Amino acid sequence: MIRDITLGQYYPGESWIHKLDPRTKIIGTFVFLVALFLVKDFWGFLVAVAGLALVIGISRVPLNFILKGLKPVFLIILFTFVINMFMTKGETLVGWGFLVITREGLYNAFFMGVRLVLLIIGSSLLTLTTKPIKLTDGIENLLGPLKKIGVPAHELAMMMTIALRFIPTLLEETDKIMKAQMARGADFESGNLLKRAKSLVPLLIPLFISAFRIAQDLAMAMEARCYNGGENRTRMNAMRYSRRDLLAAGAMILFVVLIVMERNLI
Amino acid sequence: MNTKYYVQAAVIAAVYAALTMLLAPFSYGFMQIRVSEALTILPFFTPAAIPGLFIGCLVSNLLSPYGLLDVICGSAATLLAALLSYKLRGTPWLVPLPPVIANGVIIGLMLHYGYGVPVNLFAIMGWIALGELIACYLIGYPLLRYLQKHKRIFQ
Repeated sequence: MIRDITLGQYYPGESWIHKLDPRTKIIGTFVFLVALFLVKDFWGFLVAVAGLALVIGISRVPLNFILKGLKPVFLIILFTFVINMFMTKGETLVGWGFLVITREGLYNAFFMGVRLVLLIIGSSLLTLTTKPIKLTDGIENLLGPLKKIGVPAHELAMMMTIALRFIPTLLEETDKIMKAQMARGADFESGNLLKRAKSLVPLLIPLFISAFRIAQDLAMAMEARCYNGGENRTRMNAMRYSRRDLLAAGAMILFVVLIVMERNLI
Repeated sequence: MNTKYYVQAAVIAAVYAALTMLLAPFSYGFMQIRVSEALTILPFFTPAAIPGLFIGCLVSNLLSPYGLLDVICGSAATLLAALLSYKLRGTPWLVPLPPVIANGVIIGLMLHYGYGVPVNLFAIMGWIALGELIACYLIGYPLLRYLQKHKRIFQ
């Protein structure tokens, strides 16, 4: 059961996109998402699809790997598509009693479907090409200016890093506890919803005890080494913008200009 | 700097994320019953659970295929709910209520306006809240009662 789980969706690679500074990628993803909401017709989508295809091409993440990631969201996309198709009023194309497909409905369904797919692929590209730890570093750095208004950027990043570090440990622990409880006759798989929900409690209690033991040890180890937060700390791998990032920024600006121009001129 | 507070929060985040991943097929999307949401009762025991749940949700959504919108909205809802749960810790049976409401409203808004799920806004909100209600009251509340007997692990 535990072997099926991969932590995150990172696809290891050496491409240009992988090597971009995480901050550039985070900002770029935001820009892309905002730009998607500006798009309102076919040509705008064409620009967005072309932009995304270009980035996917450069990143060398196989397309079927990306599409596999879409599988869990497929249901939402399908649902949105179908509901939009039948619920929009307008000029009838095909009618079947109360089920009527209208021209506007088809258009709407297509429009929303494509936007949803672009939205999801666009943002998973960030996690596909960036290691979680680098993402955390990037977030810390981008939140830096907010320290002045009291956002604990360093502490947040530190907690995220520790959490990422201990997820595999706790997954293993959960598996062990599950097996131990099953050996004692616990049943996690049968019964109605209420019974199944309650059966999780004997799993959660030992998990907490073990998690808090980990916390205790780790806190003590950190205190013993005089850990005291973000002030004046140096990094093993400092983040630096390179010429690549400048180029990426240029491409992003071009993309936004194209989207905005398309929206207002055509 | 209170190291223990932050480390406890980080470990709570890791438990949340681990549970979310382990029970993944039900954890994301709009038919979600995220079992890890049962952990939203933890602010009853320790304030470290407030950043803990926030980061847990942030990390699990970062690792999910749902995209940045979910990372932002989901984590914001969880943070808000955890803060309210902490405030309500005087009355145990109200503790699991804030996540039901916060997630229902915020995720409902996100699915309706952000992802364009074309169902009546209140229907989506109700649907999400129902999933949360199951996680928080059917698992979360019994968990709270049991953990009350083991309070010392949070010291």
